[in-house]
Parts: sequence; structure tokens; C-alpha cells
Amino acid sequence: MSTNLAYAQPQPQQRPDQRPSHIEIVTTKAQRKARPRALYAVVTVGSMFAILAAQLLLSIVVTQGAYQIDSLQYEQKILNRTEQSLLESLSLRSSSQNLAAQAAGFGMIPNATPYSLNVSNGSVFRLPGSADPAGCGGACGLVGNSLLTGMPLASVEAAAATTAAKAEAAATAATATTTTGASVAAAPEPANNAIPAPVTR
Amino acid sequence: MKPRTTRARVAFVVFIVLALTAVFIVRLVDLQVVQAEALTAEADTKRTLTRVTYGTRGDIVDTNGAVLADSVERFDIVISPRVTLLRKDASVAVLEDLTKITAIIGGDPTALLTMILDNSDSDFEYLAKGITLEQFQAVDDLDIAWLYYELRPERSYPNGEIAGNLVGFIGTDGPLAGFELGADECLASENVEASYARGEDGVALPGSSVEALEPKDGGTLKLTIDRDLQFYVQQRMAQTAQALGATWATGVVMRVSDGHLMAVSDWPTLDPNDFQNAGDADRGSRAFANPYEPGSTVKALTAASLIDAGVANQRTQVVSPYALELANGGGVISDSFYHEDQRLTLAGALVESSNTAIAQYTDLLDASSRHDYLQKFGLGETTAVDFLGESTGRLYEASEWDPRTNYAVQFGQGLSTTSIQMASAYQALANDGVRLPATLVEGCYWPDGSITDTPSKDGTRVVSKAASEQTLQMMEMVYSSSGSAPNLQIPGYRVAVKSGTAQVAEDGGYGGSVVISYAGIAPAENPEYVVIATAGIPDSIYSGAIASTFRDIMAQTLTSYRVTPSSSSGPDLPLRW
Repeated sequence: MSTNLAYAQPQPQQRPDQRPSHIEIVTTKAQRKARPRALYAVVTVGSMFAILAAQLLLSIVVTQGAYQIDSLQYEQKILNRTEQSLLESLSLRSSSQNLAAQAAGFGMIPNATPYSLNVSNGSVFRLPGSADPAGCGGACGLVGNSLLTGMPLASVEAAAATTAAKAEAAATAATATTTTGASVAAAPEPANNAIPAPVTR
Repeated sequence: MKPRTTRARVAFVVFIVLALTAVFIVRLVDLQVVQAEALTAEADTKRTLTRVTYGTRGDIVDTNGAVLADSVERFDIVISPRVTLLRKDASVAVLEDLTKITAIIGGDPTALLTMILDNSDSDFEYLAKGITLEQFQAVDDLDIAWLYYELRPERSYPNGEIAGNLVGFIGTDGPLAGFELGADECLASENVEASYARGEDGVALPGSSVEALEPKDGGTLKLTIDRDLQFYVQQRMAQTAQALGATWATGVVMRVSDGHLMAVSDWPTLDPNDFQNAGDADRGSRAFANPYEPGSTVKALTAASLIDAGVANQRTQVVSPYALELANGGGVISDSFYHEDQRLTLAGALVESSNTAIAQYTDLLDASSRHDYLQKFGLGETTAVDFLGESTGRLYEASEWDPRTNYAVQFGQGLSTTSIQMASAYQALANDGVRLPATLVEGCYWPDGSITDTPSKDGTRVVSKAASEQTLQMMEMVYSSSGSAPNLQIPGYRVAVKSGTAQVAEDGGYGGSVVISYAGIAPAENPEYVVIATAGIPDSIYSGAIASTFRDIMAQTLTSYRVTPSSSSGPDLPLRW
């Protein structure tokens, strides 16, 4: 096929003092087979293109990944911020001042005086005098919190919600009288408001 | 001739080529070596972006984890007035946008427009500072092209004035007071700057990040304070101070078993969210920083010292006159109210809070021993808390006591202490005579799980167990038999208590102003909590005015920690003979 094959040519008798060789170099079959062929070139060039294509694809994937990372990082940031903002709101709502004000809004009164319950006869022992003798309750605002400015009282919302619920109940009462009656009857009243006490000896 | 011309031409061309090559090489070296750094840096600024990643400053929490100081994210809106005004009819469009913005963040749109027009050459102005996340998102949703946003980490104190004096606050240039400043080593965070090349759309080019360090978050500082109890104590002390017309008031609750301060209240107090409105004197913690002459609460320490030294017991007898001429030439001392001569025991001297009786007991023990006892009770030195601006109080050396002070220190005049020092001294009485280090910080909890700044638990023996028990029994007699006893009762509990009324030194002498206090321990037979309520310069000069405050705080403490009521009745010691 090509011209560079190592065919052994008989040496021209140029110098008479040189003996003609009896040995010829003959290529073996394996050697002939090992010679370059077009296939190799094709494979080499092909792999080069394959590598280039793979590189390009990888690069595209990495770039795509960069966008994905960016978008996920952004999402994470937003979620972190939202979480933090909700936690901030939660710790503000759970602050003692807010709880005290909300409780006072519901008519609750703090009481430091311990009450003792006598389990043998169910009587309650305590010193005379009203709870919270100073009459301050949670609403006196002696321990301020400037962040709570404008915090609505739940009792007002609850009252509004109760009114709305009552109105709704009144509207549905006509159609579901029997159901309502049954659920009210299910709750037993404590007898004489007595504190249930175990009988001990 | 011809070959020579050819050679000359060749030589000429070669020379030109060499010269050009030399020029290029010089330029190449100049660019690649000499100016390389500057040029690279310049290139970087054009294609890279630096983003600050903020570390989060640690929270300050109470013993149950309730947040007292919190790091929050706020946002600044930044604009470039120059660019904003480039458009045609800019001010009309801008005013329209500003109206929408101020509807969310508040403020006057025309004022903002004036600000923009006044700074029309500027490239950086704040339109708004410190807006919340909700406001930020709402403004962002308006899709106004000329707004830029910057993150602004801020500090929020969701519990307001609760423990505000302890937590402290942060100004624009950094922490200014309280633990924010004193424990900054624990709380401080570190920000990192990451720079990376960006594409046209601002997305980081893969693999171009120069710095990828994680920012360092601060540790969580856990206090021994119980927020709910602190709230109660602050409220009750504020009520008391206002009712008594006092200038200041402190309330302290300390746990006996480990010296932990469960509540330390100061009145007037400050809201760290709004510290600019607090008076300068109210920005620290009076309980730590403000020493006062404690008065008769020291008599309990005197009694414990005398019993421990073996020179007196609960029944040691003296005759207490209304006024006593001091034997060493210290002049005359008298009791707070007139009475005939009383034949008192040591227990009776505490119940009557008799200065003349205590002065006579004082002679039973030499001055330097008495001084050493007071010192071992922790007077005259800062507590283990070492709070920012904490005072040592003042306990003079025994050799410096003048004849009058020699007696006066034993009933709490001529020396000064802080509320925390008195609480710590009473903790020693309550803890079988062993004083544990006063503790306000449980530890600094780092994000990696390690804990530092844990408190020391090494106690100091002040008096023997027997001496402390006998002293508590005598203080129980104050609870059951003193004039203010009806205002002290907490049903179901035995309480050991001592009142104090001390004159305040003014202009080198004692005037009409006093500091009144009640200090006590409960349950007396198995002490768990020490409570001290103190009011400075009240209208009333009788300690009884603050007795019910002490009782309420102690009752609140006992009930909120579900302390088992006493199962036995208190002692009945002879007070007179």
C-alpha cells in the first residue's frame, strides 16, 4: 500500500570485495499486520472529537450546576431568613410582657401566695386577702418592652371570633338543632364547684 | 557590488527583526512580570464580585433557653440618585415609586424626593435603613429597578426590659454595656468576604471562588437568670419603688445549692431596644455596681461569726439600753426607736434589731477576727461574676476602724456592699456555712458543641455548719416574732429573714436618707433560695415598708420552683430573760 514498506532488495554488487549476503530480511506476518492502517487514524481522530465533545458536555453540566447551586443557595437564604423572621416573631410573642398583657386581657390575675389543698377533706388553705394585693396584674406595664408597641390583644380577637362563631351557630341552629343539643348535654357540670378530693384515712 | 547590496539588505532586515523582537520582549516582560500584579488586580475588579457572608452573633438566653438577645437581619435600601435621575421626567416617575415604597416602610415620599434631588450627583445614598424582612419582600415585589438592597445584621431584645441591665446593648460602633460588652469574646462572630468571577447575569462562574471560608458564628451565652421570675421580680420591685418613692431599687434571687442568680433586678431599668432613652445612671446594673451601707442585714453575719468563734450562742444575754455610751470613746449609739432597757438574748437582739445589744456582743471578739469573718462572707471584694463595672464595696482593714466604726460595721454601717455581695453572704449562711461563687453565666455554648466559661464550683467555708444552722433559727424568730412578722408570712413555709435600715452617708455625715432592705432564706430547715429586696432613699424610713415585697418575691420563687413546703414548725427560742 505505501512506499515505505521494508521490502528487502537485493544489494547491487557495487563493491566486489563485499560478499553477497545469503540472508534476507523478511517481514513476518505479525509485523506486516502491525503496520499502521487507516482505521487507527480514524480511531485517534474520533476519540479526540469524543473527548472534546465530552469536555464540552461536562462544561455545560458544570455551568448548569452553577445555576442550580445559585438558585438553591438563594432559596436557602430566603428560607433561612423566613425561619429567622418567624423565630423573631415567636420570641416576641412569647415574651413575658406579651403573655402577661394577653393574660390580663382575658381577665387573669397573677398570684404569688401559695394555696394549700388539704387532701383529707378537700379544703383549700390560704391567707386571707385577694390575689395580687397590689392590684397590678399583668396589665400595669411596669416592665416595658418597646418592641411590643402595637401588638394586638388576643382577647379582642378572640371576642370577635366568638361573636362571629355565635352568629354562625345561630344561623346553623335552625338546621342542626338536634346535634347542638346533644353536644351540650355531653359536658357534665361539677357538683357545687367542689374540688374533687380523694378520700383518705 | 551586487552580493554586497544583498548582504546589506539581509543585515538590515535581520537588525529590524531583532529590534522588534527586543521591543516585544521588553513589553512582554513589562506586562507579564513588572505590571502583572497591578493588571491582574485591575482585571479582577472588573470581573469579580466580593460578597460578605455574615457570621451570626450569638444569642443571650436565660437558664431555660428563652431568648434575651437575638441577632436579626434587617435591610437597607440603597440608591444612586445620579443614575436614578438620568431618565426623562425622572422626578415624576420617582415620586410615584416613592409613594408606593413609603406605603410599605412609612415616611414622607416628598421628603425622600427632596433628598434625592439634593444629592443628584451622588452615587450612594440610603433611602431607608433597617427595614424588616416583610417590608423588604414587599418593596422587592414592587420591582423598582433603581433600588439596591444591603443586608444589615442587627440585634433585637424580644423581652425588652427583662434583664435589660444585665444583657446590655449594642450601639452603632459595637457593644456598649452589660454582657454584650463583657462577654463579647463569646458572642462575637466573624464575617468572611468571598470574591468570585461573575457571569453577565451575576451567577458565579464555576470554580472561580477565591475564598471559600465559612463565617464564624458566635457562641450562645446562657445566663442563670430565669426570665419569668426575673419579670416578676422586676415588676414587684418597680411597684415597690414607685409606692415608696425610692430613687432606686434592686431585687436578687439566688439559688443556695450552686450560687446561681435566678433573678437580678434593677430599677430604674432600661430597654436595650431603646437604650438611648435610658438615663446614664440606669445603663449598668445597680445590683452589681452600686454599693450602699447595708445596715442591720449584717447583724445576721455578726451573729454567725460570734457563734462560730465560740464566744456567743443563741441565748447569750445582754441588757440593751436605748442609747449606749461606747466604752472605747466612740461616742453614743442608739436604737432606731425609743425603749426601756431590754434584757435580750442574741436571738432577741436580732428580732429587735438592737444596735446597742449587738455593740455589746461585738466586744466578745477582737476586731481583726471580726474583719476576717466579714471578708470571708465576701464583703470588700468583687464576686465571682465579675460583672462589667462591678463594685468591690468597701470593707476597711480592722486597723483602720475608728472606735465608732469598730462597732458600726457589725450592724452594717461604716462599710458598703452591693446587693449581690449580700445575697452571696446569705447564701453562705444558707449553705451550711460554705459560700459558693456567685454565678450569673452557665456557660458559653459554641456552635461546634463545646462549652466554655463554665462557672467555678469551689466553695469557701465561712462558718461552721452548726453556727449557720443556729443563725438561721434565730432569723426564723424574726419571721415569727418581729414587728413586721404579719407582712412576712408565706403559709406552709419556714423562712429565715433579717431586715435592714441603713442611713446613707451624705456630706460626711448621716442624714435623713436611708436604704431599706429585707434579706432572707427559705425554706429555713432545708434552704433553697436567698431573696434580697432593697430600696434606696424611699419616703419611708422603716424597713417594714419592703417586707411584703420580700414576701411576695420569696413566695413567687418557692411556688414557681415547686419547693416542698416545710413539714415541721419553726423553733421557739427565748428572746428575753
